Amino acid sequence: MSVIGSQTANINASAGMPPPRIARMRRATFFAFVGLGTIVGTWLMFTYLAEQGMRKAEWLLLATFLPLYYQLNVGFWTAIFGMWLMNRPKPDPLNLWRTLKPEDHEAEITASTAIIMPVFNEDVTRVFEGLRSIYLSLEQTGHSKNFDIFILSDSNQTSQWIEEETAWLELCRQLNAFGRIFYRKRRKPINRKSGNVSDFCRRWGKRYRYMIVLDADSLMSGGLLTSMTRIMEKNPGIGILQTFPKQIGAETLLGRVMQFAQSLYGPPFMDGLDYWQGGEANFWGHNAIIRLEPFIKYCALPPLPGKEPFGGHILSHDFVEAALMRKAGYAVRLLPTNRGSYEEGPPTLVDMLKRDRRWCQGNMQHFWLLFAKGWHFMSRINFAHGILSYVSSLLWLLFLVLSTFLAATPVEQSSPQAMLAMRILLGLTAMLIFLPKFAILLDEMITGRLHKPLKGRLLTFVSSLADTVIFTLMAPVLMVFHSQFVVYTILGKGVRWVTQRRRLDGRVDWAEVFFNLWPVTAIGLVWAVIAWMVSHSLLLWISPILCALILAIPMGILISGKRSGQRLGLFLTPEETEPPGVLATMNSSLAEIKGRIHLPAELEKHHGLLQVCLDPYVNGLHVSLLRRRKSINVSRTYLDQIADRLVRQGPNALTPQEMKAMIHDTEIMTDVHYRLWSARESDLAPFWATAIRQYNLAASNPFTHTLAQSPDLPAPFSSGAD
Amino acid sequence: MEAVNIQFAPETGSEEEWNEAYARLADYFRSYQLHNRIRRTQLILETLRRAAVAHKADPTRTPTAHSIEQARLMMREWLAAIYSDMNLSESQLEAAGRLGFHLSGGPARWPNFFLDKNNLPEDMREAMRAAIRTSGPSMSISKMTPRDIDLGIVSDVAEDTFDRLGRHPILRYSILIGIVGGVLGYLYFLLA
Repeated sequence: MSVIGSQTANINASAGMPPPRIARMRRATFFAFVGLGTIVGTWLMFTYLAEQGMRKAEWLLLATFLPLYYQLNVGFWTAIFGMWLMNRPKPDPLNLWRTLKPEDHEAEITASTAIIMPVFNEDVTRVFEGLRSIYLSLEQTGHSKNFDIFILSDSNQTSQWIEEETAWLELCRQLNAFGRIFYRKRRKPINRKSGNVSDFCRRWGKRYRYMIVLDADSLMSGGLLTSMTRIMEKNPGIGILQTFPKQIGAETLLGRVMQFAQSLYGPPFMDGLDYWQGGEANFWGHNAIIRLEPFIKYCALPPLPGKEPFGGHILSHDFVEAALMRKAGYAVRLLPTNRGSYEEGPPTLVDMLKRDRRWCQGNMQHFWLLFAKGWHFMSRINFAHGILSYVSSLLWLLFLVLSTFLAATPVEQSSPQAMLAMRILLGLTAMLIFLPKFAILLDEMITGRLHKPLKGRLLTFVSSLADTVIFTLMAPVLMVFHSQFVVYTILGKGVRWVTQRRRLDGRVDWAEVFFNLWPVTAIGLVWAVIAWMVSHSLLLWISPILCALILAIPMGILISGKRSGQRLGLFLTPEETEPPGVLATMNSSLAEIKGRIHLPAELEKHHGLLQVCLDPYVNGLHVSLLRRRKSINVSRTYLDQIADRLVRQGPNALTPQEMKAMIHDTEIMTDVHYRLWSARESDLAPFWATAIRQYNLAASNPFTHTLAQSPDLPAPFSSGAD
Repeated sequence: MEAVNIQFAPETGSEEEWNEAYARLADYFRSYQLHNRIRRTQLILETLRRAAVAHKADPTRTPTAHSIEQARLMMREWLAAIYSDMNLSESQLEAAGRLGFHLSGGPARWPNFFLDKNNLPEDMREAMRAAIRTSGPSMSISKMTPRDIDLGIVSDVAEDTFDRLGRHPILRYSILIGIVGGVLGYLYFLLA
């Protein structure tokens, strides 16, 4: 294993990899408890079912029960071990924070680190204001000089692309960060996000020792970024160091409930994962630091056999990269973090389902890798858990369906042993589901980790009860959808690569909720009728699930709305009550932009295109950035015709392909600029006539359309960074 | 700043056409963020005078088209004087030069020298030249080649099966219907 850099020269090359003895001991303990819990549960189930001999359907029921119970046990024991780690008197000897001494926090960072943010048609304002906050926070540490930021764009919408270019330029100008913040746009977005990152590694990877990967909605504090680099320097055995990104910025009830739940229950689960995963943890694709040399050498992703959705390009690349890194001999570690690493969640139930659909396909693809040669055993476990997290929904559904039909053909249960087994099993299951939540809540009541004041703790208690109700109502709906996603993936129905909606603009789209959820309601109603006909006691037993299914539509509307309980003080997180500096900076910039007057809707829709065609500076920027690429051979006559139609008929007259051909050509883009300004008003499309009249009135500075006006703007740029 | 001479009497073209050209030029120079109205007026009148001469020579094109063309020529001449020794092609000169003026803070700092090729303050010249020398970090190419993953025998069998099913959708759906039918049949048997 080679080690680069002065700071790492005298350090054990495998530092950061947990000692095998401790790792084995921890894993053995953890899986012993999980195994014991699963065996006991399965045995109790068997005892209950086998009273009159096992029928085939009962064997099937037991087969679906076993993995479900295993999964329940994994969650339960992860939380329990996490709680123990959080509360043990001595700190965890494997905690990576302990590798940093107080003086290390002041030491110069010599390692060059690239902070990369791959984007695909994302909200430009959120992306660049997030980066501004990260940059300023990094500057405040006084150790930022070896950090560079890259925006790696795969955006394929013209206006989005231009707005990214202008926002990048303006951000660099405002922060005097030319030569520190870079923008790169790929012409062909091959292999989606992982291809985007690989492209960066191929072009610039050699220049940097580390790469910190962010998502478009990520936010990280400078303090954590520098600490991560320092930990990597101290621990050359670590290939990937993953932080725990806390959710922020939610405005809907669902978003805030998830944000609250993650804030309350997340840290013990994270500690628990760190306990048993050790040096074979997972990479979640963002808010993590990566050692670039082994990443480039060992973590390039081959396509999977077969076609998408099961084969082809690897969608959930992060798990595979973590496994490849571990296979190469480097540790993949989790860094327990309470502050400094943030992300945003989906705002509505429908958005959450869209995201899960993608994740489901990605995880199902890992089926191929389960039996591949050379993996560390824990990497296989990680793949299996990923697959199980979606397949378990299908198993749960099958379990319930089988239970329904078994109830239709009951056998007499008279043995006290069978009844006792059933009662114990029910008690155990309830404990596995609710005890971690209860224990974590109790811990919060006692310690006040989230909120110190008593009122805050009491509100946390009430919020926790409320989130239990909401998650109980959501679980059966998710079960139906996840089952559908699994079946769709197996049947070969793939997902498209689309931009995620991260904020709810305006009100809940009732039609969207209705059209997505009515089948769930229908399933609930049909199931209820069948259960009523089969057995009244069965109906009573599964009524919580059936109620959740039947109420899916109103529940979907309720939780996707902006009545989120904030006014009542519910679901509050520390990031809402005391926003950290990096978040406060971003929020104030976003608030400034929110209050602006916008152009008419049609002009706003095509604002980037409007700017690149009309504004001499934006046009100059775009053409200058294009100049560094090879031009595509497209016929001049064809481009002329497109440009002519654009001028005379407006942007809607062009197909996306025509727009793409035009926007990539330097000559035609310069030409269009002059053609528009030279044309008589009567020859212009109404769109352009309005745009020319209104543009100068609206744009006091063309580059700040999507960006906040910095109150302390540095002196106009004059730098010669290479 | 030179005095504003508002005399303008084109020999060709209608008043309406020249008014449209005037309005367009006003919008055009405003898009350069030149907030000094007197300087803008100077530029508009100078451009219109040049356009009037051009229109006389070629009246087939509109005064608006001639005006923007003259503005473009003035821009090229001005930028050529600033970047004379930087070996930029004509289109590079235009795009990078406009951007250089913006990045150097030109519209706010030197509005009176915009398009004035005979009067180039040294600090403006240097700031505009420095601005276009800025570029990204030079590339440092690495090879990132995927290594084959030996997926093992289970995956081989699965791959063959999925491949075959993928090529025969009727077979795929038949199997699915068979499974669903089998389950339903079995349940019917249980209920019966």
